[in-house]
Amino acid sequence: SNTKNENIAQPLPSALSTARHIESLESVSYPEGIKSPATDLNRDAKDGKFRYDRGFLLQFMELCKEKPDNLPPMEALGLVGDLSGHAM
Amino acid sequence: DMQSQAESIRTVFSDPTNFNVKHPLYSPWTLWFDSPATKGRNLPQTPISAFPQTPIPETPGAVAAQGWMEDIKRVISFDSVEEFWGLYNNIIPPSQLPQKANYYLFKEGIIPAWEDEANKNGGKWSIQLPREKNRGNVDKMWLYTMLAAIGETFDPSPVLSDGSGNAPKSLITGVIVSARPQFYRLSIWTRLAPSATEEDGLRERIEGVGRHFKTGVLGFQEGQKLGGALATEVEFLSHKDSERKGKSAKKIIV
Repeated sequence: SNTKNENIAQPLPSALSTARHIESLESVSYPEGIKSPATDLNRDAKDGKFRYDRGFLLQFMELCKEKPDNLPPMEALGLVGDLSGHAM
Repeated sequence: DMQSQAESIRTVFSDPTNFNVKHPLYSPWTLWFDSPATKGRNLPQTPISAFPQTPIPETPGAVAAQGWMEDIKRVISFDSVEEFWGLYNNIIPPSQLPQKANYYLFKEGIIPAWEDEANKNGGKWSIQLPREKNRGNVDKMWLYTMLAAIGETFDPSPVLSDGSGNAPKSLITGVIVSARPQFYRLSIWTRLAPSATEEDGLRERIEGVGRHFKTGVLGFQEGQKLGGALATEVEFLSHKDSERKGKSAKKIIV
């Protein structure tokens, strides 16, 4: 595998697109203060199909702000706020 | 040492920029969007042919839906918690949507139309909320609705097992938020709808989804009356009854 010094600007592709899927939730340990996914939701989990409670999911909100590589330009979709000049 | 470091698991919590694992969702999801401004637009980014053509029955309703699907734009698909938040943090919330706009978050491969195989025998839970009173709440309500959908917690027992040992399917096919001049509407679409003579527990399961929507997601009290001017209760209607629009339509209310 290839280990690079990444002190400089984040190269493409992003961690978001290259990270692999977790296969087993038991293999993951979270830093202190981070809640693990509710275990009763995943008692019978298999094939990497996990269920997540809201408290667990909300912990990602402030960390995952990077725009996905494959998100099209919002202006092209017409997906802009109602204060920014749509013709109505 | 180098070897164990290379093999170590780094989540976004331990390394927000160089994490090497992400949390897979129970199902991959696709976000769709439409508004009056998307009508008639033909965008190279989201050609309607880019998603697999769903076989559509030759009914007048289906033909109408095909026209409608041309105006609805596929925004993006994702299959992890981290990608969901990357999307969420880079698009506008419902409170800022233009009027008459909708977000549709559906499982990948299911188009947000009742003609889709996954929807045609189903129905929807929905609630309508007056716009002015709820402009400050609707973003959180939509976020919590999406989180319950992607986290797969609406359906307490995703057990539509096909007996093959594959992971069972849940009842939920998608969720929708609609911004209108006078109100917002939130909906949860299900694969199945109970019939009048239901005996296999489906009605209880559908009602469980509605109760979780009302109390766990939207934060209302069980039994709280919500209807009023421009407002509805949390109510379920099958797509077949919606189509009929007759008085025979039987709503379930939680």
